[in-house]
Amino acid sequence: MGSTVFATPGQGAFGNPAPGAPISGDPTAVIELRGITRIYSTGRLEVAALRGVDLDVWEGDFLAIVGPSGSGKSTMMNIIGCLDRPTAGSYRLGGTPVEQLSDDDLARVRGRAIGFVFQSFNLLPRTSALENVATPLLYQGVGRKERYARAQVALERLGLGDRLHHEPSELSGGQQQRVAIARALVTEPALILADEPTGNLDSQSGADVITLLHELNQAGTTIVLITHDSDVAVQALRQVHVRDGLLVQ
Amino acid sequence: MTALELVRLAISRLGTSRLRAVLTMLGVIIGVGSIVALVAVAQGATSGITDRIQGLGTNLLTVSPGATRNGFTRLALGSATTLTTEDAQAIAATPGVAAVAPELSTQKVVIAGLQNTTTSIIGTTPAYLEVRTYTMWQGSFLNQAAVDGSLRVAVLGSTTADDLGLDGTSIGQTIQIGGIPFQLVGIMQPKGSSGATSQDDQVLIPITTAQHYFVGGDKVRLISVSVASASQIDQTQAELTVLMEQRHGTNGTNDDFTITSQAQLLSTFSSITGLLTVLLGGIASISLVVGGIGIMNIMLVSVRERTREIGIRKAIGARSSDILFQFLVEALVLSLLGGVIGIVVGVVASLAIGQVAGWGFIFNPLTVVVAVGFSLAVGVVFGVWPARAAARLDPIASLRYE
Repeated sequence: MGSTVFATPGQGAFGNPAPGAPISGDPTAVIELRGITRIYSTGRLEVAALRGVDLDVWEGDFLAIVGPSGSGKSTMMNIIGCLDRPTAGSYRLGGTPVEQLSDDDLARVRGRAIGFVFQSFNLLPRTSALENVATPLLYQGVGRKERYARAQVALERLGLGDRLHHEPSELSGGQQQRVAIARALVTEPALILADEPTGNLDSQSGADVITLLHELNQAGTTIVLITHDSDVAVQALRQVHVRDGLLVQ
Repeated sequence: MTALELVRLAISRLGTSRLRAVLTMLGVIIGVGSIVALVAVAQGATSGITDRIQGLGTNLLTVSPGATRNGFTRLALGSATTLTTEDAQAIAATPGVAAVAPELSTQKVVIAGLQNTTTSIIGTTPAYLEVRTYTMWQGSFLNQAAVDGSLRVAVLGSTTADDLGLDGTSIGQTIQIGGIPFQLVGIMQPKGSSGATSQDDQVLIPITTAQHYFVGGDKVRLISVSVASASQIDQTQAELTVLMEQRHGTNGTNDDFTITSQAQLLSTFSSITGLLTVLLGGIASISLVVGGIGIMNIMLVSVRERTREIGIRKAIGARSSDILFQFLVEALVLSLLGGVIGIVVGVVASLAIGQVAGWGFIFNPLTVVVAVGFSLAVGVVFGVWPARAAARLDPIASLRYE
């Protein structure tokens, strides 16, 4: 567990003159994709969703992966998020070769190194905001008191200190997404992976979420944003475009 | 995740759908409840029967006529009347025998004033009181003079006395037995043992009187023998067998009598009631299995309903084993909670049944252990499949599941 996957965000990121750009000397690549290919086989039919993708994401980066639906960006998100494995190619997350990890290790990486923010929020239903945010810590074996304390800090940081015991159904879309971001942050991950985080929100709430992601990035969190919306994408520090399973710069 | 965290999580999840949880548990509640209640009923019945057998008398041996052979056909036990008063006297002379009461019985109508009843008329000797451990309530028991003189005197069991409307003031009164007048000399204490009270519904008269007026000859139906001490029962039984074989000229293969001890009677009955317990418990176990299938059904439905939840949990760091244990522990909590409620229900039911049946409350801690073990087993057996189904879900597909 000594790998940089579990490094707290901000290490070496504060004070970087140009976040997201390779730094001379010893730059830390949080994500290193080399020749990533993902082929889905359904019976005799084989569909190549990704056909050899190379990508580096640096610590402190704020990258938007942009592409229309069917371009392969969801597959990229699944692979970066360790929810799926590439058919070929190598993926190093914080220096750790992911393709060699067991399913349980992948689960551990998801829990500790990656914070997910989904389009549809994906909060646990009939479960309080506090409990939702504390749950990733449960799977890390953090004790009950510390879990709730850290979850409360994360929620307060996102301005939800007065919504701790509300269930998702009692919160607005924007509030739910902020709970989801608090849940992604609470483990202090190396990377926040946001999949269309504004897709289900009105424009004001959507803008708030993007502002929030910027603030987190300023504070040192590496963010990968996946979207089909170029208006959202331009707000990231840099963009890569996906077309037919390939990156087009 | 620790076991405590898992249990806490399971309880909070079940708490969000209480009605469903209770309905799911109902099968296990009924299953465990009926096991506990039925086993208690079977044990209550056993102890009732045991009490009554022991109430027959202490250290009792019973000599009864054997079966007769009619050509090649062996007739029913007791079909012969091969025992005599002389046999009883010979048995009484055997060392280790405390008292001997020959018995002869018939059914007659008994009339006292305007009341009448039909009951067993037993001809016997004064030793009967000691051998069968009765005590007198009013008047006195048959004495040796009554036997020697074939006197028409009678002692009533308490139930018979009640039926005829007789009490302490009736001693000395004349009653009719089979149309023949007898003088009432005593009424016995009820034995007070549970269940039917046939031991208290009888009329005792001198054996000689019974032979003279009702049966004829010097045959007796059975001979009750009270052995001096419990440790001598087996030895005395063997000695009596030898004595009776000598007297009847038999050699063990063609004995025309049978000697049974109370212990044999007890073991016969306990094997019957043991079978009864297993049978009732087995029937109740079926409902427990049905309850387990109910849990499995609900858990499978729950896994489908909560597919998205499972996907979320996996995305935020849950391993497959965490999901497996989460669902398994939910099934276990359901079955165990059902088991505990079932025990309470079963204990209350057996308490009520025990009150009605009159054998009181018999509580066997082993039943509780077995019932809890059973419900845990039900939880594991019927919880594993749904839990595995949940654990195997693909996180990507389940996150997209609507």
